[in-house]
Amino acid sequence: MAYPYTHPKEVRVLSQYFGDPEARTLKGWEARGGYQALRKALGTPREEIVNTVKASGLRGRGGAGFPTGMKWGFMPRKVEGTPHYLICNADESEPGTFKDRELMRWTPHALVEGCVIGAYAINAEHAYIYIRGEFFEAAQVMARAIEEAYAAGYLGKNILGSGIDIDLTLHLGAGAYICGEETGLLNSLEGRRGEPRVKPPYPAISGAFGKPTAVNNVESLIAAAHIVLNGADWYKQWGTEKSVGTKLFCVSGHVKRPGNYEVPLGFNFKEFIYDVCGGTPDGRPIKAVIPGGSSVPILTADELDIGMDYEAMAAAGTMLGCGSVIVMDDTTNIVKQVRRMVDFYAHESCGQCTPCREGTAWAARILRRMEQGRGVPDDIDTLLAISENMSGRTICVLSDAAAAPITSSIEKFRADYDALMAPEPGLVGAGLTGAAHGSVR
Amino acid sequence: MSAGHGRADSPPSSWPAALQNPGFAGDTGEFAALSEADVRGSAYVGERPRDGGHASVAGTLPYQVGANDGEAPIFVGEYEERLQKILSRYPDRQNALLPALHMAHEIRGYLSPATMDEVAARLELAPAYVRGVASFYTMYNLGPVGKYLIQVCTNISCNLCGGDAVFEAFLKHTGTEAGETSANGLWTVMEVECLGACGFPTAVQINERYFENIRPEDVPAVLETLQ
Repeated sequence: MAYPYTHPKEVRVLSQYFGDPEARTLKGWEARGGYQALRKALGTPREEIVNTVKASGLRGRGGAGFPTGMKWGFMPRKVEGTPHYLICNADESEPGTFKDRELMRWTPHALVEGCVIGAYAINAEHAYIYIRGEFFEAAQVMARAIEEAYAAGYLGKNILGSGIDIDLTLHLGAGAYICGEETGLLNSLEGRRGEPRVKPPYPAISGAFGKPTAVNNVESLIAAAHIVLNGADWYKQWGTEKSVGTKLFCVSGHVKRPGNYEVPLGFNFKEFIYDVCGGTPDGRPIKAVIPGGSSVPILTADELDIGMDYEAMAAAGTMLGCGSVIVMDDTTNIVKQVRRMVDFYAHESCGQCTPCREGTAWAARILRRMEQGRGVPDDIDTLLAISENMSGRTICVLSDAAAAPITSSIEKFRADYDALMAPEPGLVGAGLTGAAHGSVR
Repeated sequence: MSAGHGRADSPPSSWPAALQNPGFAGDTGEFAALSEADVRGSAYVGERPRDGGHASVAGTLPYQVGANDGEAPIFVGEYEERLQKILSRYPDRQNALLPALHMAHEIRGYLSPATMDEVAARLELAPAYVRGVASFYTMYNLGPVGKYLIQVCTNISCNLCGGDAVFEAFLKHTGTEAGETSANGLWTVMEVECLGACGFPTAVQINERYFENIRPEDVPAVLETLQ
């Protein structure tokens, strides 16, 4: 169930055991039906598993929404001497997102199971879980679960007598949002700076250590295990035609009941915020909502009557992303929040690409000056020009992500920017309005 | 001049005080019967051995374990055992660089140039390469920090709920400037990016532990329990 608040409209598939401390132990997990999916998978031909996950319509839950079965289908035919790798992306760092942490600390064995099934499906004998370094506590819980799984024969050589060998290694990151980007993650796993790679080649051809690799989000792997156990049609009972299944949505900001909730895709967003999450704490009007993490365009309060699925969000000019809902009431200073988000991107930019490295830094400086009430009208045009240059021109999409809050807030909350224009713009240009001081970082 | 928002970004006033625990394990909402150990899973985890335990998880021990010794040898005894286990999990010794740096950081408290050179020598990598990698990641401190590294999230979700005020409160009660260590060597306070605990604002990471639902008025109590 959702944690720490539940709601009857939820559909609890992945989150059923949140808040249940026994579920994280091996015994407790087995008592709750755990490792049945793994047993079934190892007795099923690999191609059939890939086809089942394809047929289910499961889309990657890390933000991109790329069909998981299709990603597994891209793996080449297994050649003797060429290892394949499955990587679990547990680098959860998108602002507003906290679902993978809960999945790992409440149901670590669910992830072990998902990793084994995924590795088996793509002919990998070694899977890595790349977990962000700050998640020490979740990592310790995962470590304990992995040790239990090895001891019980769910990992290692000849799993449950199947003749199949799969090893799992837990790898700690060291603090870098960009290592959540799959190729940045691969570089970090290899002991390099976590700088994204140009694609092609895609990880399915040349991934971890240059070998065929699939990188999947925590939630995707756990969902895949459920699908293998219960079948593709079972999963299709929820969601829409193109956005199948249930999803964990992380809710934060100005809401009465923040936390994780699991609802079917396509659930009405307005109903979700006002009914399931309880609306704003003080009943104040909502000013803005980010539906899918800081990297997606912001919605106004009038734009919430849509389905929480990939297609409806795209049609509304935003994205479902990782489903991280950030609610802002009418006391919010939009320019301040956009500045803070752009500061984040500037900090996290790996620096490879000029549009991102320079664009995030300059946009942050302009936004900080505007936040301090020393904006000039040209700033809006400059920010839009920077955003245009940051979109579609870089190795990875951190750059595009940084532009999203800028362009959407200028379009929809222009009044907030206008309110911060300097009374005498000429003095700003001449540097006569006092020392320009940046943040402490 | 800001756009007159004295109250903008303060925590919503109608959050029921009864649901807020002292911030050590987050707002447990409907699960208030759970203990902190239930939520953190600390009883399940138990004591983690310095030699890393099973090779599959040997790279994941906490990175600041109490007293740090800037002179202590790194790759000897249990730590060398741990490194051997880590090395066995990757095709190339270069792949063990992040775990090796975490270990060096755990023992010495930060990565000085000499420390990075030792890691480089042990893994047969160029010292300049190791510096390039270490400098990329925020968790590797390249200079000494206080006994308690207090990292306050001020990113958007926590910011909307008063994260800036919590940050200011930590600076005030530790008597430090952002990023600097207190004279008594106990505290270093800095802003940090999203910690992935956004449902429990404001999230603060102190060494390896998360403290959640921290409000400015909670700060003295938090510091008190650490000392």
